Amino acid sequence: MRHIISILLQNEAGALTRVSNLFSSRGYNIESLNVAPTTDPDLSRLTLVTTGSEEVIDQISKQLGKLVDVVDISDMTGEDHIERELMMCKVRSADSAAMEKLTELRARVLDDREDHYTVEFVGGSQEIDRLILKLGSIGTVTAVVRSGAMAVARGAPILQQA
Amino acid sequence: MQNNFVNTATLHSEKLMLMELIAHELEATGTQKIAHPLAGKTLTGADTIVQVLADEGVDTIFGYSGGAILPTYDAVFRFNSENQRDGVEPMPLIVPANEQGAGFMAAGYARASGKVGVVMVTSGPGATNCVTPVRDCAADSIPIVVICGQVPTAAIGTDAFQEAPVTSIMGSVAKHVFLVTDPLQLEVTVRTAFEIARTGRPGPVVIDIPKDIQNWSGPYRGEGLMPIRGYRKRLVSIQENALSDAKCQSFFDLLGAAKRPLIYAGGGVINAGASEALRSLAIEFGIPVTTTLMGLGCFDTTHPLALHMLGMHGLASANFAVDDCDFLIAVGARFDDRVAGNPSKFAPSAKQVAHFDIDPSEIHKVKPADWHHVGLLAESLEQLLSYAHKQKLSSDFAQWHREIAELKRTYGLNYDRDSEAIQPYYVIETMNKITKGEAIVSTGVGQHQMWAAQYCDFREPRLWMTSGSMGTMGFGLPAAIGAQFARPNKLVIDIDGDASIRMNLGELETATTYGLPIKVIVLNNFGDGMVMQWQRLFHMGRLSGSDKSLRKKNFIKAAEADGFEYAKRLDTKADVPRVLEEFLAFPGPAFLEVIIDPEANVYPMVGPGLPYREIVTGKFIANRYDTTERTDPDSSEMF
Repeated sequence: MRHIISILLQNEAGALTRVSNLFSSRGYNIESLNVAPTTDPDLSRLTLVTTGSEEVIDQISKQLGKLVDVVDISDMTGEDHIERELMMCKVRSADSAAMEKLTELRARVLDDREDHYTVEFVGGSQEIDRLILKLGSIGTVTAVVRSGAMAVARGAPILQQA
Repeated sequence: MQNNFVNTATLHSEKLMLMELIAHELEATGTQKIAHPLAGKTLTGADTIVQVLADEGVDTIFGYSGGAILPTYDAVFRFNSENQRDGVEPMPLIVPANEQGAGFMAAGYARASGKVGVVMVTSGPGATNCVTPVRDCAADSIPIVVICGQVPTAAIGTDAFQEAPVTSIMGSVAKHVFLVTDPLQLEVTVRTAFEIARTGRPGPVVIDIPKDIQNWSGPYRGEGLMPIRGYRKRLVSIQENALSDAKCQSFFDLLGAAKRPLIYAGGGVINAGASEALRSLAIEFGIPVTTTLMGLGCFDTTHPLALHMLGMHGLASANFAVDDCDFLIAVGARFDDRVAGNPSKFAPSAKQVAHFDIDPSEIHKVKPADWHHVGLLAESLEQLLSYAHKQKLSSDFAQWHREIAELKRTYGLNYDRDSEAIQPYYVIETMNKITKGEAIVSTGVGQHQMWAAQYCDFREPRLWMTSGSMGTMGFGLPAAIGAQFARPNKLVIDIDGDASIRMNLGELETATTYGLPIKVIVLNNFGDGMVMQWQRLFHMGRLSGSDKSLRKKNFIKAAEADGFEYAKRLDTKADVPRVLEEFLAFPGPAFLEVIIDPEANVYPMVGPGLPYREIVTGKFIANRYDTTERTDPDSSEMF
């Protein structure tokens, strides 16, 4: 089953490598990995999408908990959460109605020149998968840039910084 | 440099005066925090490192010098010359033949003493030669701190001379790695490395220190740790996780419902200093104890309740007890594949499994536990006991004790006692009669390791040093050296194999250089015995790469060349008791090569991935299972 795991990580030399090494050395998958700074300059937040049985996911969480740089972990899949991903992509199309069709699909056109449309879309990862398929009917999708999923719990729960 | 030179001898006397002053002040004021006598003084990075080591109580450093660690080696030299008393250095530097040797010496030191072992090496090859011992220590949960020199900060990433990506390499194998990039963080980093190495599930911590950071000078604070907030938060929650009365009661409910309880104790018991508590629990409630390879010595192997080792090469009696038990109590053990080759068929009669560990990831990892507790082992077991005392709980497992005694009588170890060739079992059994389970024994990896584990007694913890999880050949000799430094008055014996000892043979000279009275026994079967055993069992006897019978090595000459005054070859069975007596009584370093039966196998053996029902016991040990129709292990399970 697909799980979204959020991690607060200390910004130490090699910290990110240790997280990704853990996955490769123990044979776990990483479907996507998003890393960005937080308001605390010493911490980064990672959102990791992985798949595995309940036992595997349990081990992933526990093994992550053994990394010294990991401050807090939460398996978002277990709780009520909101998931978003940002995608930017390029569509090549000579269709004169391309702009209209893109807007209909709720893809925001950021740039448009010489039949190349650069669009932005924010949504769930599966929504993005579906959108990419639909874009194929407007023109040729020449590039896809995705942020990887990000997630946050609904309501009060947050990752603990200390 | 001259201006920054810190005269530690003066500092030392200053320290003593300060301590006295503070002591007086304390008497007067009651509670005043004692400042470090060097607090506020200017020290170089190198002196800072050495001072933190001194503050941490380090009394031996194992290491090999080189360009990127020169400033710190210089600081160690000065510290030792300025603080020596009656010619004795406070922090002697023990130099191996190869950095891997230093790593295993530190591991042997840590295993024998329970203290953190310290390794100090240079960048590049110095650091990469330590990868194997660092992984070995991580796999066996042994606390060491490895200080690596690194090329100067500005040269990192330029493919500089003797540069290696230590954080990347060690990050995959160590408990933690630090790269010091801010000199102001150096002092707290070194101190925090010790904290991480020894707390929780112990392990190796590597500190990579660029040369410019060693040459920097700045204020010494004498206190402070890095925040490592996540680690410390999780550690505190585990340390404070006491067993509630209700949880104690539920444990004793399970015990009360059981007729055949069995403690399966691992290396965690030794790491946690929980042997005493385990002993009390086992004896007061009459629960038999079997231990893993790593757990040997956590419970006196000569005790009537002791079943000795279980697992792939465990005693048949111990494995049968595992098959019979109805309540399995795992303590600081992790159901490793050498113990539970087939987890679903492991302890098949156990209606309940209880699991104590300090590492939450071990619970349910291999074998689901019906009752578990993550916490400090010694404290947890003591809480159980004090609850039992309060509730006046007792038990009666007399019938089970009779069954255990019968298992031990019928399915104990045995071998061809009439053989003309020297049987390895006979050598170790005879040695054990002399050492009585009180000597420190280290080993390499392979058949000799298993024979030593089976035939040696261990009356107390920290006597048995072996590379359990990693199975690193070449471990025995350097580990024995490290153990002898930790316990100078103990008899230390390295039981080694001809192939294993070759791997770190250079350390023979280290033993004589430092005048260590270690005893090295090489059981020579002219090859990689365990590999040959598997090749005979599973590869139709094709001895690919493992037969060393045509090799030219003369071990006696090698030992003599390295300064061993006692170096003998033993090849006559009748001489075994006399020669072993004389060898073990020799006052200095001693080397004994024993020519053993090259066909000798390790029995019992449970094939990889197989349940205990498939145990093969050979011709001389009784087997209660019919294994005439043996299942061949899955060829990919064979590791």
